[in-house]
Amino acid sequence: MLKHLNKTKIKPTRVVVLGSQGFVGRYALRQLKSEGIEAVGISKNEVNLLHVDAEKILLEKLNLQDTLVVVSALAPCKNTAMLIDNLRMMQIVGNVIEKISLSHVVYISSDAAYADDITLATEDSVTAPTSFHGMMHSCRELILKQAAKKTPLAILRPSLLYGRGDPHHGYGPNRFIRLAEKNEPIVLFGNGEEKRDHVFICDVAHIIALVVQHRSEGILNLASGHAYSFREIAEIVLSEIECVSEIQATPRNNPIMHRHFNIAALYKAFPAFQPTQFKMGLKQVLQQSTLSMETT
Amino acid sequence: MYQPTIGFAGMSHLGINSAVATAERGFHVVCFDMDKTLIENFKKQCLPIVEPTLPELLTKHCLTEKIEFSDDAAMLGQCDVVYIASDVPTNDRGVSDLASIYALIKQVLAHLNPNALLVVLCQVPPGFTRALKTELPLERVYYQVETLIFGRAIERALYPERFIIGCADPAISIDSRYGSLLAAFECPILPMRYESAELSKISINCCLVASISVANMLSEICEKIGANWAEIVPALKLDKRIGANAYLAPGLGIAGGNLERDLETILNFSEFYGTEAGIVKSWLRNSQYRKDWVLKILQSHVLLTNKNPTIAVLGLAYKENTHSTKNSPSLLLLQYLRSYNVRVYDPVVDCSIVSWAHSATSVEQALKSADVLIIMTPWPVFRTMTLEELKKTMRGRVIIDPYQVLAFLGLEKEGFHYSALGVGVTC
Repeated sequence: MLKHLNKTKIKPTRVVVLGSQGFVGRYALRQLKSEGIEAVGISKNEVNLLHVDAEKILLEKLNLQDTLVVVSALAPCKNTAMLIDNLRMMQIVGNVIEKISLSHVVYISSDAAYADDITLATEDSVTAPTSFHGMMHSCRELILKQAAKKTPLAILRPSLLYGRGDPHHGYGPNRFIRLAEKNEPIVLFGNGEEKRDHVFICDVAHIIALVVQHRSEGILNLASGHAYSFREIAEIVLSEIECVSEIQATPRNNPIMHRHFNIAALYKAFPAFQPTQFKMGLKQVLQQSTLSMETT
Repeated sequence: MYQPTIGFAGMSHLGINSAVATAERGFHVVCFDMDKTLIENFKKQCLPIVEPTLPELLTKHCLTEKIEFSDDAAMLGQCDVVYIASDVPTNDRGVSDLASIYALIKQVLAHLNPNALLVVLCQVPPGFTRALKTELPLERVYYQVETLIFGRAIERALYPERFIIGCADPAISIDSRYGSLLAAFECPILPMRYESAELSKISINCCLVASISVANMLSEICEKIGANWAEIVPALKLDKRIGANAYLAPGLGIAGGNLERDLETILNFSEFYGTEAGIVKSWLRNSQYRKDWVLKILQSHVLLTNKNPTIAVLGLAYKENTHSTKNSPSLLLLQYLRSYNVRVYDPVVDCSIVSWAHSATSVEQALKSADVLIIMTPWPVFRTMTLEELKKTMRGRVIIDPYQVLAFLGLEKEGFHYSALGVGVTC
């Protein structure tokens, strides 16, 4: 559960988004600025966290009492080498947090940290990842918890993300939209029976802004509260895009595993916040042109 | 025939109801509590609790001096049997604090007749009674399982289903003074060793929680698949293995304090002795999950389209016919509704405990121009609402009625959006 150190919203002195050119980083930075919050982005162009001088350079870029939003990652993490690199990056961030007095740290993790067989995820669900990506986030959470013992730390675990400008071609709405826009078939694993909760990237950005202003600490899952099967998602996409794409089922290789989210904690943390339901979010994605972002 | 004089130390909810029931069964009763104000109020028949028929019976027996009250423990010296009946406080996690019980027992023992019997009536963990051997011979000590139900305390005290009695040696007959008291209630008497009796109470509560948890789990499935749990329950109760009196009403999570305490006791034993009790954690998880049912319905059916609704919340007590708000689902829900215009009403609980909400003095006042009505405690008085009243007084047409207080009105057919535990929407 999340606990707010600021009962009402207070704009922080400055927010630094580490990983500002990634999907989440770009939207977060834009949202913070749109709310009048002083915010700057740091991408790998400014600080390469794998560089030998990364710790020194990052320390120089941070001010005392900054709020640090940590998004930077080599994702999706697929193998041992990437895992080690991701952990090295977070080791640097951890070292920096221990050396400078920050007001607040927010880490954008993932629901991949949860055990695969969790079908109804809550913030208390067991974190027992079986993928490199999940293990990466789980270990990074631990590194930050150790480093941020004297600094309020919020860990946000989004479910599967969707939105315009996602650089990944992961199975789900982002890929389905791209395929439909190119009039290519939407190929499903099996008949697309698995149900998943997809969270709109703008919601994630909105919540980051809320967390930062409430100076929240603890863990919060970010999801919409409604899971759709991949087939349903494909059908919704095709109903919204004029195209000749068709849905193709394939022989099933893996058992069907659903994942839903109980988002009572989100309702309680931010009672006035309403998660965007998938159909509405999809409409917004289709209305958006390719996002052009300011990086500073 | 000699009638023993019965003492009750600790004028808790349990103590006063048990004392009055004992007087009603014809025994002279001495009630002790160190709280002077409480004792003075009892003498004036002013009760701090709400229980049906308790006020009438208390008045009756005070007038005939069948029951007397004192803040002087020495008064217990005249008693043949003295019950320790005080509350055992628990923290938010359900962990008992036994210090006050030990203190009370010591205080009572200082004045107890050397031949008198001591009966522990409080909810204590297994092992408690036997440990009293350092204070007095165990032949003079009994443990009696209490089966109080808030809202039905007098009924339960006067007409127990059975007595479960923990003894030093169950093979030896119960002392005749105590035996004659128990016999006056005309129900089966089950003597057993102390630990079995102490665990019996916990076992009863575990079975109830298991049953409620099954009802909760299956009623949620009903809501998703279009079934109605209320239609299924009679079929279950006609199965002799389940039984006509099975506890199958879904709820909004465990509340009241006693069930939580017993589950915590079992978990502690399990951890200490290395037994498997994961199922208890599942019950607790289910209970916690159920507490958010109303909030989730409100979010998905009201707040999605109405950002600033007026919300009427009926009921603050954790269940009907009681003043207790311990772990009340209503108060828990209200914590998350501060940003909205909320009106609250409870027929017994003082609504000013929700200081930020508008306290209504009647159901009608609470309903006035409300966009949504939430019935959080199934008080009988709420069942007197009529369809006309709802249509005339409410602005909106959303009713969240977990306990189906108004199910008989057929609200869905009258244009209301109606949500209740275990009721699915048929396609």
